[in-house]
Amino acid sequence: MDERKKGMIVSTTDEIVIQVEGLTKRYDDLTAVDDISFSVKRGEIFGILGPNGAGKTTTLECIEGIVTPTSGRTVVLGLDTQNEPKEVKQRIGVQLQASAYFDHLTLKEILDLFGRFYKRSAAPIELLERVALEGRAGATVANLSGGQRQRFTIAAALINEPEVVFLDEPTTGLDPQARRSLWEFVLAMNEQGRTIVLTTHYMEEAEFLCHRVAIMDGGKIVALDTPDNLTRALPVPYEIKIAVEGEYSADALQRLADVEDVIAEEGGIVRLSSSDASNSVPAIMRWSMASDATLNHLEVVPASLEDVFLHITGRALSE
Amino acid sequence: MILFHLTIANLKLVLRNRQALFWAILFPLIFVVVFGIFFGRGNPFSDNGPTSVAVIDRAQDELSANLIESLKAQEDLSVERRDDETAARQDIEDGNLNLLLIFPEGLSREAYDSPPAQMMAIFDETNIPGSIAVGTIRSFVDGTNLQLAQAPKRIELSVESVTGDELSYFDTLLPGLAVWGVMNFSILGLATTIAAYREKRILVRIQVTPLPVSMFFASQVLAYMFLPLAQAAIMLITGVVLFGASIQGSLPQFALLVIIGNSVFVSMGFIVGAFSRTVAAASGLGNAIGLPLMFLSGVFFPLDTLPTVIRVVVEYLPLAPLLEVVRGVTLHSKSFWEFPVELAIIGCWIVASAIVATKTFRFR
Repeated sequence: MDERKKGMIVSTTDEIVIQVEGLTKRYDDLTAVDDISFSVKRGEIFGILGPNGAGKTTTLECIEGIVTPTSGRTVVLGLDTQNEPKEVKQRIGVQLQASAYFDHLTLKEILDLFGRFYKRSAAPIELLERVALEGRAGATVANLSGGQRQRFTIAAALINEPEVVFLDEPTTGLDPQARRSLWEFVLAMNEQGRTIVLTTHYMEEAEFLCHRVAIMDGGKIVALDTPDNLTRALPVPYEIKIAVEGEYSADALQRLADVEDVIAEEGGIVRLSSSDASNSVPAIMRWSMASDATLNHLEVVPASLEDVFLHITGRALSE
Repeated sequence: MILFHLTIANLKLVLRNRQALFWAILFPLIFVVVFGIFFGRGNPFSDNGPTSVAVIDRAQDELSANLIESLKAQEDLSVERRDDETAARQDIEDGNLNLLLIFPEGLSREAYDSPPAQMMAIFDETNIPGSIAVGTIRSFVDGTNLQLAQAPKRIELSVESVTGDELSYFDTLLPGLAVWGVMNFSILGLATTIAAYREKRILVRIQVTPLPVSMFFASQVLAYMFLPLAQAAIMLITGVVLFGASIQGSLPQFALLVIIGNSVFVSMGFIVGAFSRTVAAASGLGNAIGLPLMFLSGVFFPLDTLPTVIRVVVEYLPLAPLLEVVRGVTLHSKSFWEFPVELAIIGCWIVASAIVATKTFRFR
């Protein structure tokens, strides 16, 4: 996780490419999306994180122009999705959740066909090269592994060289290795200057890939910021884990600077919740030098988006 | 240009889907072959030779010899003399012999007295050629009686077939089978395709591209205009070449009728696809519509054999009027402008089914 690539990514600009204003979608008695507003800047990887049924997919489908909102407005590249759906579709790339392609056409034939739906299109073989599938050009989708299939759907989403790409749960159902490999392709896409909006219910995916994350729950956006800002805003953004040898007083630890809570475990392991690790860590060091106990190990674990979700909704993200 | 490539892709998709292709093309073709074997003419699998007649001549006189000579002169009978009645009866039972005739002793002597001489005809009622031959023999005997009584001929029957040519059951069946095959192909093929595309979210994937929906519709319609036409051709050729069916009428007109009628079936395929959540449901619903339509619309039996209530309804369904025109054109060399009522009914179906198809279509 520390080999984050976000620093290498084309920097975002202030140009807004997606504007969502007061978007609401109601189905009979269910409100899938409940009056949400946000904007996405050019060059961003924007994540929508949330549990199943939070309204992530419906939000994307309204922006893409395949679901008509009950109220509100979505503007993509300056075009209102409702008024100019055809023009919007010309300029966006879409990967749908759990969507398949034709059974009896080869990868190349499918890309050839889809390319003809657009005014401009990339060469199929070159697209397959981008997702390392050039060797399978003559295969059918049925003959691909799960990871290869997802990569193919990404290649298909890029057929019209879109400026904005929507990925709906691109790694759901993939094993960790295939997920990692797909992340690389998403980053590569972003490096080419494409704005990416993706939904996910994996918090580590949002943390690794996204410049900014909107956390959705029950059709509403409950938080929206960079992953770092979201975790830093928590009352307890850090956990400091230490291993202590010898006698010590938990009360003494509790009194150290910015330490909110102390949990002592077996074998001298102590977990301290801290509101500011930059104050707590020096205090712990001073405490260990002054006391009889020896400090064997110290580790600062930052809070994750999982903790953010738990803090805001009172429920865990993963079920 | 997009339309052309989409249609080609559709054709590839159908032709590469072996299982679907089997049901679409081979299934109706099996009907042609099976019915051809039973009812076809001069086909390589069955020998519809002359009706075999055995004669046991116990009279052994001039009259019996004359009768046998006259019977032998009949083209469609093959007459042989036998002696053993038991063996001959066994042959009738086994189906090796169609008809057995026994001339009693003293045929010519007793012929002038009453009661008349008892000539026996023995056959198996389930044996169709045998049953037909009995009729021939009966009129033969009547004729002989009149001749012997030297009665003057007062009435002569002259026979004229309304078809102009003699049509066999298979001849009338074949165009009907071809039309049914087309219907089967279009309804089932399109319904399962649309259901599969929806199930796999291919329809939504197409919806997020700028491709106009009308273009997608049109490409399916084009593919399903071409393929059933090819299928009808295969069925007709099989029937004509292998089983000697005769097609008198205009083939271009037949092709035009297939295209006209098929547009109803294409719309019905879309409609069935719209109402089916899964491929299995689409195939079930397609058959639930197609099979009763086939049996009720006169593919196999004349409409007259149906109860009046059902017949009145069936006459307004799309298949029956189409069959009427197709048979008129292919069998009786009529022009299809001679069927304004039937064409009007089909026309109504084309419009109505197309409207329903576009209204009910859904992407997910």
